[in-house]
Amino acid sequence: MMQKLLDLWAAYESTLAFAAVNAFFALSTYAVMATGILSFATVAFAAVGGFLGAQLMGQFGLPLWLVLPASAAGGCVASLVVSFVFLRLESHWLALASLALILITRILVLNAPMLTGGVNGLSVPIEAPLWLLLGLLAVVALAFWRLSVSWYGIAARAVREDPAVAGSLGIAPRRVQRMAFAVSGALGGLGGVLLAMTLQFLSPETYYINISFTMIAAVVLGGSYHWMGAIVGALVFTALPQIMQALVPQVQDLARGVALLLIMILLPRGLVDPRAWRIRRALREARR
Amino acid sequence: MNKHASWLLAMALTVAPIAVQAAPPAGDYVVGFNTDSTGPLAAAGQSFTRGAELATAEITAAGTIAPGARLVLDIKEAAGDAARSIQNMHQFLADRRVIAASCCILSPIVNSLKPVVAGKMPLVVYGATAPGLPSLPWVYSTTALPGPKDTETAATVARTLKPKTVTYFVSADNDAFKARMAAAEAAVKATGAATAAVISVLGTDTDFTAPATQAMGTNPDVIMVYTTQSPAVGIIAALRARGFKGVIVGNDALAPAAMWAKIGAPLVGVPFPLSFSPDVNQSPEARAFVAAYKAKYNTPPDLYSAQGYEAMWLIAQALHSMDGQPTREGLAAALAKQTAIEHNVYGGQAMKDGQAEVTGLTIVNWTAEGTLAAWKAP
Amino acid sequence: MQLLLEQMVNGCAIGALYGLFAIGFGLVFSTLGILNAAHGCYASFAAIAGYYAATSLRLPFAASLVAGVVTGAALAILVDQIAFQPLRRRGAGMLGALITSIAFWMILDSLAGLATDQQSLSFPAGTFPSAMPMLGTLPLPAMQMIAIGGLIVVTIAIHWLITHSRLGAAMRAVGWNETAAQLGGVNPRLVILATAGLAGATSGLAGVLAGISTNNVSFTLGEGMLLKGFAAVVVGGYEDVRGAAVAGIGLGVAEVLSAQYISTSMRDAITYALLLGFLVLRPRGLFGRASFLRA
Repeated sequence: MMQKLLDLWAAYESTLAFAAVNAFFALSTYAVMATGILSFATVAFAAVGGFLGAQLMGQFGLPLWLVLPASAAGGCVASLVVSFVFLRLESHWLALASLALILITRILVLNAPMLTGGVNGLSVPIEAPLWLLLGLLAVVALAFWRLSVSWYGIAARAVREDPAVAGSLGIAPRRVQRMAFAVSGALGGLGGVLLAMTLQFLSPETYYINISFTMIAAVVLGGSYHWMGAIVGALVFTALPQIMQALVPQVQDLARGVALLLIMILLPRGLVDPRAWRIRRALREARR
Repeated sequence: MNKHASWLLAMALTVAPIAVQAAPPAGDYVVGFNTDSTGPLAAAGQSFTRGAELATAEITAAGTIAPGARLVLDIKEAAGDAARSIQNMHQFLADRRVIAASCCILSPIVNSLKPVVAGKMPLVVYGATAPGLPSLPWVYSTTALPGPKDTETAATVARTLKPKTVTYFVSADNDAFKARMAAAEAAVKATGAATAAVISVLGTDTDFTAPATQAMGTNPDVIMVYTTQSPAVGIIAALRARGFKGVIVGNDALAPAAMWAKIGAPLVGVPFPLSFSPDVNQSPEARAFVAAYKAKYNTPPDLYSAQGYEAMWLIAQALHSMDGQPTREGLAAALAKQTAIEHNVYGGQAMKDGQAEVTGLTIVNWTAEGTLAAWKAP
Repeated sequence: MQLLLEQMVNGCAIGALYGLFAIGFGLVFSTLGILNAAHGCYASFAAIAGYYAATSLRLPFAASLVAGVVTGAALAILVDQIAFQPLRRRGAGMLGALITSIAFWMILDSLAGLATDQQSLSFPAGTFPSAMPMLGTLPLPAMQMIAIGGLIVVTIAIHWLITHSRLGAAMRAVGWNETAAQLGGVNPRLVILATAGLAGATSGLAGVLAGISTNNVSFTLGEGMLLKGFAAVVVGGYEDVRGAAVAGIGLGVAEVLSAQYISTSMRDAITYALLLGFLVLRPRGLFGRASFLRA
């Protein structure tokens, strides 16, 4: 029995690791979505953080406690640059521009072999242990919790609801959104380097369409109205292919799409929905 | 000696040789098989998997590992994604019945998996074509490396036709093909032909009329194509459609019969180095392989099926050579000792430092009848 | 000079396919407000339907085209009703529709893979016109002329539909504000079905033509078109089909000429850089009307 549990853990430990990494990307996307912006740009921030971290570890042999903050900082710088350009755009255009950014990122990665190894890819010497991934995720979750109950959290909700009204209340939407981008960039960069350490090999395909869909699906699936939704969504969306593979290996990709569709139809606000809690709480109070 | 004692002695002498010739016990031996049978590599992935399935069926039926021993595949889909491949490999490692793993069409994924299996379980690569992947005793490759054959083919064609200028096509996002093109170009330059142009295409490109026009605009005598399968047939079809009459040199991705079925006439006369084809490999093992594959899947095997097939035979061979209950470490040591794959469809397949090698070069081209024949200069 | 002209023709032909696809994609985006990740699948399925019409049913070329177009339209309507209609009733915005479209993209790609047994198929010679008449020394392959001609005809037809017909006016009204349109006597259900069908039909046409000229009938066909079509919609402005058409041609020509005269390995980079440039500097595209920037 103990043996079976240990075997199960060994089999799915890596899935948990990938779920944790995807949670970082999902939280990065959530950070800007909390202020009303749909953006895929996290992938670009992840690429910056990932390749920067990989080079710092590989070429310069820097230790982890230096590399992780450096990657987060790299992602943050990239996001601030991007925010200057993107925040002038209307929501539809911002989403499209961020998609275009992913496409351009891959081309840049392919054509800068000095920085990224180009088409041959880059080997990453250090592996990210599971306790590090989960520990960092816990720290970030704590930070999100504190932010959500702070001035910033309230301001973000106001800006998301209605930027004009928020403006009239003295909250500068642009400023809040720029801060959101900075947070998003730092998380994206950190997630990027953690992904690099989990895969231990980077190629131009690593920071491309696959993770962009994963992170958006994770946020929406998990619930785009609460930071915990991003984490839950990442867990579900990472485990889903493995579950489908175990249950229906012949049609697993089809099954994955169907599962996603069913969740969207039945729970359109996602798995973690604060409004549903409030309604349930209100009903309970009314019954008393 | 009394009658019973001599009878017992005779029995002992008969049984003794069999007892000394130890072999693995009967039972199931599971190979964790990471496949890419959906997604962009699906066509090749299916071929590799089918070859492996045929091999395990044959090995089990013939009792090759030991009488009563079955070789079983545990197939997990990765669809060309590194993260899924890693998760599959972890699941294989955690499954005590799995004694070896096999994987990969893409070289970056092999590089991702190397740290995962090192020290834990032997991995036999059936498809990735980058050189330098094997790492004794844990990582092996039964792919017949196409690079050296490409270089030899290019040099042979250049020496025979003596072109003044050559234009190259290369897949810019595929490391193996970039290296193959570079090596071929160097060999061709050494024969005195100059490079007119190098045209890059991407794996996701679908239109090749413009690159073909561009290539023809450089007025080369010969065009050489070092791209993955879809672009290669697209380029050749486009070149012929626009009226290019010169020789086009291809690569082994053109060998499967499905490519002839797909494009047909433009492929006629395009030389490429052969590793395996039902038409050309005629050894008894090859013919048996082709017949069995056709019976099972209703379609002839191609070079990818052969590679998947050989990967399983290598594992079976190594298992057979072991004494007592095999362990993963023991199998890794046994694999390292193999110097050739005995049951092979190539007419000879050596294993050097974990990398399979097929010596000899056959340059072939498709004929108008839809068969492969040895290339003759026009 | 000869080479330049040849490549211009090539560019226009590829661009025509991008433009046709972009018209469909842009219609859905502007009228229905949906960024549809599954739109490429309509093109893939249309190509597959056209392929089987030509090979198994041995229909002539025109009939294969029609089969493809009808398949594209039918699939678009089906996906709209199953995926997006329930979300409309709930009032979920672009985000919910996007995720649902991703789910359908996975499902449809899977099915398309099964339909071609994971292979990339080609239309056999003889099932499509392969003549290559010469204008002087300039080759004009028949399929390229059909693609360019098709784009011109479809653009004129749809533009006329949108600006001069009642259905077109209804489509524009629904695109602006569905409730207001309903108040004005428009049946939004019908308009949505018509828009989805039209979008699927044009993208389906692009799919069949692309499947023939690129020798690639498989689920990868749609993905390639999706990226390029999306670029054309952004550059051309999603509100005007003429913009999408012109942008498609422009992108095709830019792609081919930049590969020819600048660098083949940076070909896509230039396309996407153009895309990003337009997004940043002129988000309404070449022909779109000004939309409001963020508050």
